[in-house]
Amino acid sequence: MTRLMKDDGVPDGDELARLIGQVATERDRQAYARLYSYFAPRLNAFLRRSGLPPNTAEEIAQEVMLSVWRKASYFDPARAGAATWIFTIARNLRIDHLRRLRTASAGEEEPVEVETAPSGETLLLTAEREARVREALKTLSDEQATVLRLSFFSEKAHSEIARELGLPLGTVKSRVRLALGRLRVLLEGHT
Amino acid sequence: MTIRHHASDESLLRYAAGQLPAGPARVLAVHLATCPCCRERLAAFEAVGGALLEATAPAPMAPDAFAAALRAIDREEAARAPATPAPTHLEARARPRAPVTLPGGIPLPAPLQDCEIGPWRWIGLGVRASTVRLPEDPEARLTLLRVGPGRKLPEHGHVGTEFTQVISGSFSDGFGRYGPGDLSEMDQEIEHQPIVDREGDCYCLAALEGSMRLNGFFGRLVQPFVRL
Repeated sequence: MTRLMKDDGVPDGDELARLIGQVATERDRQAYARLYSYFAPRLNAFLRRSGLPPNTAEEIAQEVMLSVWRKASYFDPARAGAATWIFTIARNLRIDHLRRLRTASAGEEEPVEVETAPSGETLLLTAEREARVREALKTLSDEQATVLRLSFFSEKAHSEIARELGLPLGTVKSRVRLALGRLRVLLEGHT
Repeated sequence: MTIRHHASDESLLRYAAGQLPAGPARVLAVHLATCPCCRERLAAFEAVGGALLEATAPAPMAPDAFAAALRAIDREEAARAPATPAPTHLEARARPRAPVTLPGGIPLPAPLQDCEIGPWRWIGLGVRASTVRLPEDPEARLTLLRVGPGRKLPEHGHVGTEFTQVISGSFSDGFGRYGPGDLSEMDQEIEHQPIVDREGDCYCLAALEGSMRLNGFFGRLVQPFVRL
């Protein structure tokens, strides 16, 4: 494990995408180790936060990282950034896990995705989109960030979130709208 | 196909987060398959997920977790070594089953091809319904509706949101006209009265989050199908 810590600089999005590419084409374990040390603990925390017990969160974080190894060749930087791609894997495995709990029936159904032809242009737009989403998130008020996070980390509809926060539904809806509106301005404003 | 009615921000956000129940999520998947505009918005909301993941303060894994991952990879590679190469992207996606169609030869949308479509049952007033069972969640509430031309569904309301995706034909309510590819999300507390346009049958896929108001007509209509 210690050799993983050699490079403690936080990799940026391009670096992470390059590492996934190396795993895909060269089955490069050094690159994989760097991805693992960066993402596994974050996935672990993220999954706990979405309500999974610590043991389960860690198991699924591990599953996600194994999927990253297996599916690295499916990663398409024209469609999503590295963190976004890994987030969607975690999201899908978490859904599978919760459904297995409920139905006790296995099944590795992939979510239906629509093929889009990648082009130089979409590649640029994807990178910009990722950067702008991050910019936009920084500009949110605490209240807006809270409802946005609640939408991500709880399965409650906004009406329930409102009840829990002791706020009128309209207030929650307008905070989400403002938060997403800010995202949209940043996403669409420069294209 | 010109799509005029799109998914709401709330629903797309919850879909991106993986927090939408299975039934409404499938209705959205059917909408997304034909709506590039909503796919683009979804990609932005998924990027929010990526950003939140990166912004999360790390929680350390068990000290031997990475070693265990490498062992798992070794086992998989060893098991795979003599076998044929992994299927390509396209092969992996190919579905061997013949595509299912709806009555009248209308193709079932691709995101429903792995579902079990129940028998069509006449439930009165020019309305037929069929239960859609999802392989991943047999309890999910999802219904295909076929409503005759000019048929009017009495006003109904619901607790929670009703998601209705038009597959073919069209209907109108106080909020506009909904044609193929359009998604209607009816919030709780909204009463509406859909009327199918005169040109022909309207097929739509409907899911409900929460429960139908039991005294409503529509509630009684689909009650046997969604097991309220």
